[in-house]
Amino acid sequence: MSKYAFLFIDDGVDYQGAPTPEQQKVYADIFKWFETNGDKITDGGAELQPTRTATTIRTRGDKRVVLDGPFIEAKESVGGFTVFELPTKDAAVALAKTWPGYGVEIRPIREG
Amino acid sequence: MAATYVLMFVNDESFRDRPKDEVAAIYAEVTRWSQDLERKGILKGGVELEKKGTAMTVRRVNGTMQVFDGPFMESKEHVGGFAMIEVPDLDEAIRIAKAFPGGVEVRPIVVH
Repeated sequence: MSKYAFLFIDDGVDYQGAPTPEQQKVYADIFKWFETNGDKITDGGAELQPTRTATTIRTRGDKRVVLDGPFIEAKESVGGFTVFELPTKDAAVALAKTWPGYGVEIRPIREG
Repeated sequence: MAATYVLMFVNDESFRDRPKDEVAAIYAEVTRWSQDLERKGILKGGVELEKKGTAMTVRRVNGTMQVFDGPFMESKEHVGGFAMIEVPDLDEAIRIAKAFPGGVEVRPIVVH
């Protein structure tokens, strides 16, 4: 068994704002998906607030600077993450394909 | 009243190609940083991800989930890990992020 982080891709739907009925259904399906797959989760992770709430800290020369916004301004961003324990990468891909939302980036965890 | 923030560590992975002792020094600094937060009961978990080259992405294209090699975003910098911290406010989260030896995006989480 190996651990895989699922980075859920936020494609700009504001589920915390005013989602359409269709988006509300996706959100409900996401809840069900977590219930169904709860036994494979080793770290529940978190759902993140939209990128407009982000603050980024970087090193410029020898100074640490604080900037409003995400580390990269793009149409897509990380909307949350969860860690699963699964037998193979194929199993991770198969599980990700059942995600009711827009998309998932699968990354193995570096242990130790 | 405490709030949970996710710290996303962002970098271009070039630090891993530095001489062994420099990489070891960076990891030692990260360990000191995380152990200090753990001791104070602030750190609520975290993961380090394998390099972005190990990523697979699944995304919905015209209604069906399709599998792609690589991270969801082709950018120089990408997420290399996560940590969750419980702190009184964003200012404290930023203070903690500033003490990390690398780029950090700070995001509040959605509380259900």
